[in-house]
Amino acid sequence: MTFAIETSGLQFRPGRGFEISNLNMHVPSGALYGFLGPNGAGKTTTIRLLLGLTPKQSGSITVLGRSMPGGSVDVMARTGYVPERPHLYPTLSVDETLRLHSAFHVRWDSAWADELKRQFSLVGERRVASLSKGETGKLMMLLALAQQPELLVLDEPTDGLDPVVRRDVLEALLGYVSSHSATVLISSHLVHELERICDWIAVMDRGRMVAELPMQEFKDGIKRLVIADVARTTKEPPFTVLARKQSNGGEQWLVRGWTNGMRDYFAHSGGTLREVIDLDLEEGFVELLRSFRGAA
Amino acid sequence: MFDKIDPRSPTPLYAQISTRLRVAIAAGELLPGEALPSVRHLASQLRINPATVVQAYRALEAEGLVSTRQGAGTFVLDVPAERKTTERSVEARRLVRDMVAEAGRLGISATELRDAVDHELNGRKE
Repeated sequence: MTFAIETSGLQFRPGRGFEISNLNMHVPSGALYGFLGPNGAGKTTTIRLLLGLTPKQSGSITVLGRSMPGGSVDVMARTGYVPERPHLYPTLSVDETLRLHSAFHVRWDSAWADELKRQFSLVGERRVASLSKGETGKLMMLLALAQQPELLVLDEPTDGLDPVVRRDVLEALLGYVSSHSATVLISSHLVHELERICDWIAVMDRGRMVAELPMQEFKDGIKRLVIADVARTTKEPPFTVLARKQSNGGEQWLVRGWTNGMRDYFAHSGGTLREVIDLDLEEGFVELLRSFRGAA
Repeated sequence: MFDKIDPRSPTPLYAQISTRLRVAIAAGELLPGEALPSVRHLASQLRINPATVVQAYRALEAEGLVSTRQGAGTFVLDVPAERKTTERSVEARRLVRDMVAEAGRLGISATELRDAVDHELNGRKE
């Protein structure tokens, strides 16, 4: 597997907020990689470190084969970046913004930029300062896509946007990914959106990577087990128990790394497995964080 | 056609899509020679990963229900009638399995369930 983004032992202490500590990240090429975490977890700081916008303190970062922050100029030319806060000049018009952006990107596709402008109902003469939040969000996605990047780094691209605009923005993104080979890193706390589109999921909390794995594996592996005769379970389980609570004379265990074959554990070590309950990504995420914080 | 696709369900998205299409082909909703939506279009429309759509189409191709022609798209194949009957019966079993499991969870007896099924089917009067 090749990686579009790779970090090893990344360390950074920001002025405010959690220290990024020993961060190991692997974004496979071609993946739609969801970066999930509560507000303040360090996602934006991490993204800025990855793109060389903030200098790291120690550890290594490799993006599109270039070591960062040294390769920053090259990487930024090949990356469509949608930052958390708009990076647009308020006095320019939409068209002027497009022209400015196109000057920095060799692979800019003006025909497609115009098509997206039409799809997004953006009026060329409008000044950036007069655009609504939704129009700004659409413009930023347009700028990132029209340069035909190898890598898209999207920091909460749909945050604060109404459902209709969110739909438009995601449709354009997915349309691009369907017809170009590109890697997408999308950070968000809109769990359900990530659940739809991502094939990899990374969870960050308080500056540390809590989990990083294929989406389906995460969803398959995180379960609630309803167990009776718990006292009899003596052996060390093959799955990770995140939390236990009393329930109806037995217990409910929240576990991670579950596979169906692990039912045998209960057959051989005592205790009766009554039910295996699935969790969706949001529940899994919340429970994972709760247990991570409880253990810390 | 895909309004029941649920990303939150434990069933992988690609399996939900391929099942829906398999049933559509068996029921004649999709006819031989008809094109499936393009990967780009379906991924965009459902707002899901294009790789998921590709995986669903590949699964159907492996089952001999569709064929992908590079650059042209994915098309429904002429599937023999017995195959269609089998698919419908597999789907019927799946529906019933889910229903029986749910009924069990709710404490509904086999007799009560059968009565309810008869009542519904009589009401349908095909």
